[in-house]
Amino acid sequence: MLLRIDMTSDIPIYQQIRNQIVFAAAKGNLKPGDALPTVRQLAQDIGVNPMTVNKAYALLKDEGIIIIDRRHGAQIRDCGKTGMVFNQDFDRRLELLLSEARMKGASKQEITTHLSGLIDLVYE
Amino acid sequence: MFMLLTLLILSWLIFGTMAAFTLFYKNQQNQQILGVTLSATHAQSLEVQDIISGYKRMCYLIFLLSAGLSLLLLLPAAASFTEFFLLILVLVNIFFNWLAVHRYQRRLRTLKKEKGWIYQRSRIVTVDMNVVKEKGKAGVSAVWSWLFLLLSFIPTFYLLFSPTARAFYPVVFSMIGPFCQLNMIFLYYQMRNSHTPALSENTEINKVCARTQERIRTQAATLSGLTMLVFWFLFSFSVFYAGDGILIILPVFVLITALLLIAYWQQKKIRAAENHFFGPELQNESHLSEQEGAYKWGCYYNPSDPRIFVPKRIAGMGFTINLAHPVGKAVGFGILALVLAALIPVFYGGAKDYVITENGSQITIDAAMYDLSLAKDRIVSVSTLESLPRSLRTNGYGGESKSFGHFTVEGYGKCMLYVYSQGGAYIVLKLDGDNPGYVIVNGKTPAETENLYRSIKAWLGEGVSIY
Repeated sequence: MLLRIDMTSDIPIYQQIRNQIVFAAAKGNLKPGDALPTVRQLAQDIGVNPMTVNKAYALLKDEGIIIIDRRHGAQIRDCGKTGMVFNQDFDRRLELLLSEARMKGASKQEITTHLSGLIDLVYE
Repeated sequence: MFMLLTLLILSWLIFGTMAAFTLFYKNQQNQQILGVTLSATHAQSLEVQDIISGYKRMCYLIFLLSAGLSLLLLLPAAASFTEFFLLILVLVNIFFNWLAVHRYQRRLRTLKKEKGWIYQRSRIVTVDMNVVKEKGKAGVSAVWSWLFLLLSFIPTFYLLFSPTARAFYPVVFSMIGPFCQLNMIFLYYQMRNSHTPALSENTEINKVCARTQERIRTQAATLSGLTMLVFWFLFSFSVFYAGDGILIILPVFVLITALLLIAYWQQKKIRAAENHFFGPELQNESHLSEQEGAYKWGCYYNPSDPRIFVPKRIAGMGFTINLAHPVGKAVGFGILALVLAALIPVFYGGAKDYVITENGSQITIDAAMYDLSLAKDRIVSVSTLESLPRSLRTNGYGGESKSFGHFTVEGYGKCMLYVYSQGGAYIVLKLDGDNPGYVIVNGKTPAETENLYRSIKAWLGEGVSIY
């Protein structure tokens, strides 16, 4: 899996790492059980402080996307078995995004078409 | 004359190293030439090649002019200010090399602007997670670097069992070798963990390239460690056994030449590997991003980079400080302050003449950082010497025209020296005790030495053996 970090972006680096791992896990580029590099290895290769990568991993762990094991390090969790997909937090984030789109003038039809395209992109 | 030749050879070594180091900047590395971002296609254009040819000529000219000007020291009139002349010449050489980089960098930027060679501004670091996981698996084993560290203690062990050698080679001094080896180990791990570009979408290609590059980088780091070890053995051997200091220049020459060759070899191999694995991708300008804003006055300055130490633009040339980072600023200015704190006293001490004054029961020698006051009753005897035996500076100033400070002199042990090279004879004051056991002084000319000897004899009067 290729990780592309934009050093000049307004999105914090830990958030970029977290987002891309989520995308990769969703698209199957990272499969359940796949090991992630160690915090130190990844930090050295990106050229950031290990705390930045640690923050991204902690976020992924809290969200139940990875599990961190003392012997095997960080691994992608088998999220399919947890069944905890649509929770309050998910609805709140999606609602916020839809509200932003409506606020900027997108119609219900436009949003539906756009979402459909994005769903296809993730599930392709 | 011998000291002058040694200084001349050392200065030529510095000029050569600076020329080689400056010439490294003309090679394309990380899509940069002379610190200016250029794509592979643009770098091959006639205009860029013209600028590079001019830059090369300038580097050779600076080297030849510096080496030529250093020959002025062979003139008898220049003998009394050799160190200053050489120091100034070295500083001027460094300045002109820097100026050459700056001047041709500006030309390249102007050309880029005229041609409209603009690349994207965002800086995207691409990392292949599968490559990252394989870090450290393809390199030369770290065992070699650790072995070199252990071997570098051999001169220390030798000193522990040889009191004669210890007189000329303090045990603390022998720790410089292991310290350098520790730096080499640091370099090894930095090289092994360096970022490898992942330009291909194919993970297998990225992996193979990463493995090849890791192998090259760790080979270079291990070879640098071995070179440092060979230098350390040769250097220690010259101090232990050779009274002739020319043998000390030889290891320095071997070290500098070998390190430059290793850095050149590494650059060449890394470029070849990148071209081999990512050839078409490197021709593609869409992934290329401007990196010029990251450098200010030749120093790395990038507020958006959280690292304090970053690898230099030229692979294998070590690390530089990120001056935009608060800690980087403190480290950078701290080093500058240390260099100035070390250089200013050397300038001052080297320029100042010794002032020897007799003051009642005391004689005082004013010599910058190594002032000395001697009570008359501490002086056991006074004698003269036609030539100074082999001596080693332990803490002081040793130049072409004068030497002062703490020295170990063969046959005399620990001494304080305040001597001019052109002073003819040497006046030896034997003291009670052995730390220091002797104070050796003379005047700037044989006539001054004669006067000084008479004056000291008169001051000491009766009760002191005078030879």
